[in-house]
Formats: sequence, structure tokens, C-alpha cells
Amino acid sequence: MLLELKNIFKWVTVGGNRVFLLKDVNLQVQEGEFISIMGPSGSGKSTMLNVIGMLDGFDEGEYNFLHESVHKLKEKQRAQLYKQYIGFVFQQYHLIDELTVYENIETPLLYQDVKSSERKAMVADMLDRFNIVGKKDLFPAQLSGGQQQLVGIARALIAKPKLILADEPTGNLNSKQGEEIMDLFTQLNKEGVTIIQVTHSEKNAAYAGRTIHLLDGRIEQQVTN
Amino acid sequence: MFKNYIIVAWRNLLKNKTFSLLNIVGLAVGLACFILITMYVMDELSYDKHNEKAERIYRINSDIRFGGNDLRLAVCSDPMGATLKKDYPQVEQFVRIYNSNGSKMLKKGTAFIEETKVAHADSTIFDVFTLPMIAGNPKTALSEPNTVVISKSAAEKYFGTVDAIGKGIEVNDEQHTVYKVTAVIKDMPQNAHFNYDFIFSMDNVEYGWGNFLSHNFQTYVLLQPGTDYKAFNKNFKQVIDKYILPQAKQLMQINSMEDFARTGNKLEYSLMPMLDIHLYSDRFPELGVNSSIQYVYIFSAVALFILLIACVNFMNLSTARSSNRAKEVGIRKVLGTGKKLLIGQFLTESTLMVFIGLLIAIGLVWLSIGYFNNIAGKTLGITMLLKPGYLLFLLLIPVVTGVLAGLYPAFFLSSFQPIAVLKGRTGKAFSRSNFRSALVIFQFFTSIVLIISTIVVFKQLNFIQNAKIGFNKDQMLIVNGTWALNNNADAFRNEVAKMSGVKASSFAGYLPVSNSSRNDNTFSTEAVMNEKNGFNMQVWNVDYDYIPVMGMEVLKGRNFSKEYGSDSTALIINETAAKMLGFDDPVGKKLYTLVGNDNELVSYTIVAVVKNFNYESLRKNVGPLSMRLGYNKWATAFKVSATDVTALLKNIETKWKSMAPDMPFSYQFLDDSFDNMYRAEQRIGKVALSFALLAIFIACLGLFGLAAYMAEQRTKEIGVRKVLGASVTSITTLLSKDFVKLVCIASLIAFPVAWWAMSTWLRDFAYRVSISWWVFGLAGFVALLIAVLTVSSHAIKAALTNPVKSLRNE
Ligand SMILES: Nc1ncnc2c1ncn2[C@@H]1O[C@H](COP(=O)(O)OP(=O)(O)OP(=O)(O)O)[C@@H](O)[C@H]1O
Ligand SMILES: [Mg+2]
Repeated sequence: MLLELKNIFKWVTVGGNRVFLLKDVNLQVQEGEFISIMGPSGSGKSTMLNVIGMLDGFDEGEYNFLHESVHKLKEKQRAQLYKQYIGFVFQQYHLIDELTVYENIETPLLYQDVKSSERKAMVADMLDRFNIVGKKDLFPAQLSGGQQQLVGIARALIAKPKLILADEPTGNLNSKQGEEIMDLFTQLNKEGVTIIQVTHSEKNAAYAGRTIHLLDGRIEQQVTN
Repeated sequence: MFKNYIIVAWRNLLKNKTFSLLNIVGLAVGLACFILITMYVMDELSYDKHNEKAERIYRINSDIRFGGNDLRLAVCSDPMGATLKKDYPQVEQFVRIYNSNGSKMLKKGTAFIEETKVAHADSTIFDVFTLPMIAGNPKTALSEPNTVVISKSAAEKYFGTVDAIGKGIEVNDEQHTVYKVTAVIKDMPQNAHFNYDFIFSMDNVEYGWGNFLSHNFQTYVLLQPGTDYKAFNKNFKQVIDKYILPQAKQLMQINSMEDFARTGNKLEYSLMPMLDIHLYSDRFPELGVNSSIQYVYIFSAVALFILLIACVNFMNLSTARSSNRAKEVGIRKVLGTGKKLLIGQFLTESTLMVFIGLLIAIGLVWLSIGYFNNIAGKTLGITMLLKPGYLLFLLLIPVVTGVLAGLYPAFFLSSFQPIAVLKGRTGKAFSRSNFRSALVIFQFFTSIVLIISTIVVFKQLNFIQNAKIGFNKDQMLIVNGTWALNNNADAFRNEVAKMSGVKASSFAGYLPVSNSSRNDNTFSTEAVMNEKNGFNMQVWNVDYDYIPVMGMEVLKGRNFSKEYGSDSTALIINETAAKMLGFDDPVGKKLYTLVGNDNELVSYTIVAVVKNFNYESLRKNVGPLSMRLGYNKWATAFKVSATDVTALLKNIETKWKSMAPDMPFSYQFLDDSFDNMYRAEQRIGKVALSFALLAIFIACLGLFGLAAYMAEQRTKEIGVRKVLGASVTSITTLLSKDFVKLVCIASLIAFPVAWWAMSTWLRDFAYRVSISWWVFGLAGFVALLIAVLTVSSHAIKAALTNPVKSLRNE
């Protein structure tokens, strides 16, 4: 098993009252799975993905990642996981404004001490695959929303992660581009990469093996496609 | 409108408490330093200005070179003043001041007290200097022998009342003269180049009057209004030809001043404006401890730089905050506020901040003035700030500083484009600002220069402490005033020498530290003295034990010895004298000198050369010196061993009291007196250290604020990088790198500047340390360390923050 959430609760206190963001969430993910998370806006999809990605904490319950309790993970081990194991695609892209498209995509490789010549080849390959070679010297502010999203995906994939956490990866793309990304995810999944994606589109959700429906921070139902 | 500015400014101040605090604390500390230093500088510049005729008072300086020995004197001969007044109508009045030993024993009740603020002066002193009288007549106060004018505090000390006219004060001289108080003056101000509590009549000085060749009197002339003193200086040539040459012809075979000059000798007189004495005069002997214009410059520069550092902080922090203000600026602009109004608003804001800083600064000055007085050797009072001129200056500070510090942020903020601002695109413009980098470089430049200066000053002080000075200053107890024991002096010395803990003893009227007795005389290598074979050197009367007790080293020949009957005409010279004489082997050679009032020529035989010892400060080279056998019992030196010094002192004092019950017991340790010679340097060291620390502190405050701001600006970037796998170390490095680069640039600029400044300072010392490379390395390293520590605390904090927090804030 890759990861397991057991009775996870997460809340914020607003004006003395607890507002639950996640309520008693239980989830098991096996290595090599492809999972979609769906639900209305504000239902807690991003929150759940952040917890899974250890970007955010939780208030109650237990979370094991590769049979290790996440509580016990040290900052260093977490950085190690981000570096070698997990690739994130953010809903708001989160590109570094000060770096160019090329540099943004290259950054994860810098942290993995990949040789410069190798890096060049890998980045060039990504630029090519996402059809953004012409934009490589532009800054994020000079790109359209969809283009930024593509750069964000390229950056998540370049280090060949074993787990991809994608928060609405196709939200700003046209349907053809969206399809291409989904094909790419399916391809990666076949190669053994575990993928968890958040999406509003039934069509995209169907690419996954399993869909989880969230409502008000609670898992409503799980459907195997 | 203005009221609206103030309200907005005040709310902004409260809204950003951390930034406001950093800003105001930095400013307050900077302003406090600035105020303290300007007080110091103003005090230095105020010396002697209280004299109503200050601008017309001049002192006669003498510059003499005789036989290769240079004398720069603050005194001239006794008839000089009167001669000038008689021959030159430009001279309205003159006055002489004479304080031969620098102290007198005065009787109070039944015991004698040593008073050091004493001098003899001509009755004309009241015509020349402004010494306001509480009682008495300035015209007649000192015109008769056995009269004395005393200060208010002296009157209160001796008579318990200011009403002291007609009372008598007994002086412990040979005749036990009783002086009659003829006037009481106000206490002389601290900021004067001399300060006396007792001015005795000049008529009581026993002296071979009318001698143009002996220089012993501080002489001041009051010139008629409009006289050019530089032009007046030309008259001295006439005076020399008319009065001095005839006397010189009689004594030595000097025929003309041209001959005298041709053999490398010199006799020159000049007037020095009295107002210049405190800051420019470094002659012998001075009536008080003078300062140096160099220190005024150094202090002023330090004050200005610290104020600038504080302003720079202010600019940096205000502009850094700009992104928070950007939205306000955008909205105000959209609402139609013009650029000018915005600039006005921000300047009002900075002035308000500076004003608050100023109030705190005055509090800090009030708290620290005692400490500052202590290290700077001053007696400044906080009341000085209340003088109208200074008050105006104080009020100008916030305005000038506020504008200076606020101008850049004001222009920077007011130039935002509304759309860009509302879209939130201003942070970048600022974070890449070269101007900000320049400001940080400036702060570290100043800090590094101050660090280097501090290290060099302390190195030099350490060098002085441990220099090979040619005598032993440690564990040497000097009992002063043993001459007053008269015939008991020998008995006292022998009794004390027998005490346990005392190893050896010697009469020591002449001591190898500044401000001790000195005696110089003219010698010649031939029996007939002329301008070619004559030269001046120190002659000290010492006893058989002096050289061994003082730990001086005989290089050639032998010490004085009782085994040689003829040692009363033996002379021991130092290396400088030996070199000046140019004999291959000076031992056995003869030297001639004139002694006594009838100028009898006496011959001496050199029996030894003693290794050079620094008998003046290490600022000066060792001059020629000779010692002959004699008993100068002015003081007695005891070599003690370091067991229980307090008990030993008690025993010695008991012995003293039994032999001279009405005389005060006074002593000094030679190493303390030695240290006293370098008090100015120690002060400078302490002052440099204090201000270096403060400058660094202020610079750190600024850096701290900047780093906080930078970390805040880059939280999103840090979050993203962490998610991509960056470690804490790599993020800390990322954030610190820029600052480290700036500190390195600052070092590179600071090194040559500091090197130049400190070389200039060290040039004042004949004996000095070199500025080695490690000083620069150390200073650069310290600055770097401080910068990294300041910055990395933020960087680490930012690096440890949960990434989702920083990302959610978008
Ligand atoms: N720090 C917070 N304080 C208060 N409420 C929060 C906080 N973070 C998230 N929420 C709330 O939690 C809920 C879930 O947010 P989340 O971002 O997970 O929604 P989502 O399902 O991803 O929605 P969308 O489809 O719009 O992206 C929202 O109602 C949001 O307002
Ligand atoms: Mg979401």
C-alpha cells in the first residue's frame, strides 16, 4: 500500500465554532492506482489533496505514507519525498514569477543534482512535448492561464515522480489539450506512476480507475470505473 | 489636509508595529549618537570663547633648534611680553603665567593640602582674560607681592564663605609666605585651556629676571583691534637682533643670527591665536590638557555617518514596506490625488517618525550622558541642549532628517502606476532595486570601517602597553613630595627600604613619563661654546641607585659608583645623545656646560652610554638625554614586590605621618602614570568601540527589517521551491546570498578607506604597529557573520513554514 488515511478530521475555528474542512476521511491508495476526486466547489478537494501531499496538516486521525506515520516524518525526509517521489500540479499553477519558463521547469532537477547537460536534454524534451518551445524564455506573467498550467504540469512531470498529485490540471485548457494531458496521465499510469487528480469534469474523471465523491469534507461515495 | 496626513501617518505607524518599531528604534539610537557627538564637538569648539577679547588674544610660541635638538615651546622669556608692549603700539597689553611645579601646599586649618590648580600671573591677567570678579578690584588685585586671587569654590573650601577678601593663605614654601586674598573670581569654565583656583602674584616668583635666553613663561599679548598677527610676526626678527643677540654674544660666541642659522640652528617666535590653542597646540609645556582638531574631525565624521546609517535604514524599511502601501497609493491616485500631494503626505509621515525618534533619542542621551562623559573625558550636561541655538538645531534635525530619509520612499511610492499597483505588481520593482543595494552597501561600509578602526586603535594601545620602553614601569611605587621632608628624606627612604616587600629605592625627581620634572641645558664639545659645537639636551640629577632601580640598561661604560671619587663630574648619556655627538666611542670624552647664575663653564666626562628609554610618550622619538650624579629628592621611587600592596602602602603612610604630620601623603605607580600618557588614545579606542557597536546595531536593525521583508515577499517562491524538494539549507542560502554579496562589496570599498584613515592616525606615533592583513580579514568576517546571522534567522523561519500556508496567501 502506498498511503492510507484513517479517520482524518481537519477543522478551523471561526468565531469560537469549529468549521470542519475534512470529516472522518478514510482512504487507501495502492501503488499504481489512478484516482479522481470530484465534488462541488468548496467541498474540500484541494484540502484533501494538500493533506495527502503533506503540504498541510490535519487535526485528528492517522495518515501513513509508505508505512510510515506522517507525524513522525522529519522536515528533511519530507523534502526528500518531494524531491524524489511526489510531483505536484497546483490549481493556481504556483510558478516562480522571477524565473523563466525554462528555469521553472528546470528547478526540480537542480534539487536532484542532475548534470547540466542532462538537464538541458530533459527540459528540451518537456518543452517539446507540451509544445511550448517558443515560450521558454518568457516569464510566467507573460503567459496565458492555460500556458501557465502546461508549464506547471511539465514541471511536475520532469523529475519522473512515482506519485502525481494534480489539482484541476486541465481547468484552464481547451478540451483537446485536456484530452492530451489525460492521455499522458494514462500513459504514465501504465508505466506504474500513481496519480491522484481533482477534477470537475466527468469525462476526465473517467480516465481514472476509481472516483471519490466529496461533499462538505466527507467522502460521499467511491465508484470504481 | 495636513491633519489628515498626520492621522493617516499615525494609523500606519500603529498598523505596522514591527516595522515602525525597527524604524524608530534605529532612528532614535542614531539620533542619540548624533546628539551626543555634536554636544562633544560643540564643547570642543567652544574653548576660550567666553573671553570677551578672545579674538585679540595671542600666545607667544618659541621654536628653537640648537645642536640638532628641536624644542617647540609654549613659553618664552620673561622680558618678551613687556618688550613687545614697549616697542610696538599694536600690543595693547600682555600677561605672563607661570606655574613651575604645577602644585603648591596650602594650609587649611592645621594641615597642608596639595592644590594643583595654581599659578602665578601678572596683574594684567584681568585686562587680557575675562575672569568675572565676585569681589575685589581687578585693577589692583595682583599688583602687590603676597597677594592671591581665588575662585569661588576655593573660597568656600578654605573659608566656608565667598566673603574671603583680606583673609590669609599660608603656602608651604621656604619662607612660609602668607598670601592675602585680594579678590574672589567666579570659577573658571571647564572649556578653557587653563583652569586655576589660585592665582598668585608674579612678584613672589624667584627668578633671574631679564634673561632673554631662558624660556619659562606662558606669555599672552592683547593686540589692538584690526591688527594682523601674521604680519606682526615679522617684528620678532627685530626683537631678536636688538635684545636677544647681545645677551647670546655675551654667553656664547654667537655673532649674528645668520651664522647661527647657517649651522642648522634656529630661534623663532610667533603668535598663536588663543582660540586655536585647545585644538591645535601640542607644545611644551601646555597649561592644560589640549585636544586635537583631528579628533573633532573624526567625531564629526562618525556622527554624520551614524546619522546617515539611521536615515538609510529608514529609507530601506519605508521603501520595503511600499508594497503594503501600494494599494493605498493606487486608490488615492484613482481618486485623483496628485503626485505632489502624495510626496507631501509621505514626507509628513517620515518627519513624524523622526520626531518620535528624536524624543526617544533625547531620553537616550539623558540616560547615557554619564557614560559618554566618562569615556570621552568630558563634563557635558543635558542642559546644554536647552541653549536657544542648540534647541533650534534640535528642532531642525527631524525636519532635515525626515526630508532626507523620506524623500526617496516618497518619490518611490508616489510614482506607482495605479493599474500596476492594483494588479499587485510592485514588489518586483523594489526587490531588484539597485538603490536599495547601494544603501545596504553604505551601511556595511561604515560598519566595517569602524570595526577596522577599533581593532587598529586597540592594537596600538596594546603595543604601547607592551612596548620595550627601556625601563621597568611595573611595581614601581613613587612617593611624591619627599623634598618636603627636608632632612628626613634620607631617613624616610631608608626606613621604607627596610620594610618587607620593598626591594630597592632611589630618589627620583625626574621620571620617564610625561608631565614630570624636566631640565634641559646647553652643552658643547669644546671649552669655548659657539653655535657650531653647542647643543641642548636633558640633564637629570640622579643618584647611584637610579639606573639599576629603574631597570635601565648600561650599554657601554659603567654606572655611577662610590668607588670613583671623581663621579661628581661624570655624565651618563643615552644612545640618541651619543649618536648626535658622533664620537666613535663616547666613553671618556668631555662635554662642557654653563652652570649657576654666573654662568660658570664646567666640564663633564662621559662614563657610560645608557640604552634609549622612552621618557616621553611613544608619539615622540627619544631625544638626547644625560644624567649626572645629584640628589633630586622631589620624589622617591621604591621597587616593590607584589604581595600585599595595600598593607605596604599603609605602613609607608604611617611612616610618612610620623615624619611629616602636616604634609599630605601622595603616591603613584609608575605604570599608572605611563598609562595616563595614553588616556586620549584609550578614550578614542573606547569611543570608536562604542560607536562601532552602535553603528553595527543600527545597520543590523535595518538588515533585520529588510530580510523580514524579503522573506515575506518571497514566501510563495519559498513554498513552491520546498514542494519541489528544496532543503532548508538551500533556501537559507538562497535568501542570504544577496546580502552576503553586498557585504563583500562593502568590504572591498571599506578596506582601502580604513587603511588610509588608520595610517593617518598612526602617523602621530613615532613608535607604532603596522596594519596587518588579518585586521581586514577579521573585520570583513565579523561583518559577514553579523549579516548572515541577522538574515538567516528570517530565512530559516521562512524555510520551516508549512508550504501550504505560504501558497494559500496568494
Ligand atoms: N484556512 C481556512 N480557513 C477557513 N476556511 C477554509 C480555509 N481553507 C479552506 N477553507 C474552506 O474549506 C473549504 C474547502 O476548500 P477547498 O479549497 O478544499 O475547496 P475545493 O473543493 O478545492 O473547491 P474548488 O473546487 O473551488 O477548488 C472551503 O469552503 C474553504 O472556504
Ligand atoms: Mg480546489
